[in-house]
Amino acid sequence: MRYNHSVSLSVQAFTALAYRLAQDGQADLFLSGSGRSDETRCVIGFIPRSELIITDRTTRQDIKDYCFGTQEPTLGFISYTYGLKLRGVKTTKTTDFPLGHLKQYGAVLEHDLSTGRGEIHGPDENAARKLAALATAQLDMPPLFASSPAKQVQQSLTQEAYESGVRKTLEAIRDGHTYQLNLSLKFSRTAKDMDMPGLAMDFWQRHPAPFYAFFNSGTHTILSTSPERFLRVTDGEVLSQPIKGTLHFKQYTPELEHKVTSSAKESAELSMIVDLVRNDISQNCEYGSVRVEGHKSTFIVDNLVQMYSNVHGRLREDSTVIDLLLDAFPGGSITGCPKRRSMELIETLEPHTRDVYCGSFVIIRGKRDMDSSIAIRTCWHDSRTDTFSFHAGSGIVVDSAPRKEYRETMAKAHKFLALGKS
Amino acid sequence: MNAILIDNHDSFTHNLEHLLAAHLGHGPEVVCYDDLPHLSPVGRELIIISPGPGRPAEYPGYGLWIDSGIPVLGICLGLQIINEHFGGRTDRLQHCVHGKTEDINFLGQTQTVARYHSLYCSNLGTGLEVIAANTNGVPMALAHRNRPIMGYQFHPESFLTKQGGVFIDHALQSFGIA
Repeated sequence: MRYNHSVSLSVQAFTALAYRLAQDGQADLFLSGSGRSDETRCVIGFIPRSELIITDRTTRQDIKDYCFGTQEPTLGFISYTYGLKLRGVKTTKTTDFPLGHLKQYGAVLEHDLSTGRGEIHGPDENAARKLAALATAQLDMPPLFASSPAKQVQQSLTQEAYESGVRKTLEAIRDGHTYQLNLSLKFSRTAKDMDMPGLAMDFWQRHPAPFYAFFNSGTHTILSTSPERFLRVTDGEVLSQPIKGTLHFKQYTPELEHKVTSSAKESAELSMIVDLVRNDISQNCEYGSVRVEGHKSTFIVDNLVQMYSNVHGRLREDSTVIDLLLDAFPGGSITGCPKRRSMELIETLEPHTRDVYCGSFVIIRGKRDMDSSIAIRTCWHDSRTDTFSFHAGSGIVVDSAPRKEYRETMAKAHKFLALGKS
Repeated sequence: MNAILIDNHDSFTHNLEHLLAAHLGHGPEVVCYDDLPHLSPVGRELIIISPGPGRPAEYPGYGLWIDSGIPVLGICLGLQIINEHFGGRTDRLQHCVHGKTEDINFLGQTQTVARYHSLYCSNLGTGLEVIAANTNGVPMALAHRNRPIMGYQFHPESFLTKQGGVFIDHALQSFGIA
């Protein structure tokens, strides 16, 4: 029997509840923020009752059987590394990071920040009652995040090496192997007893973005602060919202948005990825249904003006959200175009593995309902090694300047780099 | 119509599939370039060679298809593959263009088309003629003088190309299969 319970929570009360659940270790949080006014829904899974850890041997049917075998929502992630396998790109790098991890829960809280209304439901009455009790309890607000003392941050590529990678990418572009390629850096440092729940809630309040995820995966505690939607499917209606074109600012003025949208370079970056996303969703969409709306829309996140478009389609009757997700994965905005050749080049240019970075966090509700993000602006702590890791990257096109791309990459990493320096 | 679209591992192939479906009345069969040795042009009524990364030399095996007598349409790399088959040459474009539009004169009309190319047909193959070029003289559309073979350097399937269907219709009419 399913248990249903309505709750009413102020933003403060919800924040306190989310913090308490993040500390609990038995909850995974998918939180929206005020980064975009139309993204206000938060989903929290409480007390996992089953999981699917994706390995080299996991098939598409295994994932479908897991996600569609129940009416309960599935929360989790698939990693960029799994994308290499899906796209047939060989890699010699090894990693002990999971290729993906999906979970179903005893109870789920679905909360809308704009109305303050929430719904708790799930198959486990005890879990649902416990969650309902917590939702109505007086809980402590998260304290200010106390970061560990500043530690030496290791970069997978020095500035010189990153800029050399950009120059090699420019040669590959001139030879016709790629039009655009996303080149990333990995940062890591030791961080004993890193307070990941505190960091998650501190970031969520100070750096709001629409697609936050806080997820426990074995010894990894992952925090994604992504502003980018990958694919949403609502009753078969597909929406992808690729982001390209970035302008960093210290003081916001409306002219900044015009500066991004009128830039030929930034516009071309976005247009290429829009064509790529159109292609990737077309594999599972009805003929004639794929269209672009609101090309070169903008929003603000983390002192960056970012440009995006809405790519729509209608999921074919004989396809499911898993087919759509896996055929379009990984998202074109973090590979480059054409996708497979760009991914092959990335394997030669980046010495690190991307793991969950540039993968996707997903909420799967059924064969024709799903939401997912592109896992950028993402960090994690590994309790086995006491390591805190994050990545940042930039899209390289033919008129990119190596120094400028490095600066953009560091601007995207800033909020993680700044930890421990305040 | 029995149409086949050969995918050179490109990321725009399915855009082309959808555009073709709108003009053929149904979708073409889409096959991967890797499967070409196991496939035959016999029985096909239209062959489309997709865009893709790299140079034509990386894609051997198209000779049988281009010489089949069946109408062939090549897009971007597909055009360059056709051109090299007839002895033409491909070189780096001095100022390569990706994700940008340009107005070209196509059969007496101005058309806004999307360009994505680092390379171009620097020398024409035997029997091919330029039917559209940009203002710098870069070939944008080629056709064979006496065989049903045509190609576009730009991308009719891009959302940036205002009237992509015009180019598909023109090819079908030229091939006599509209």
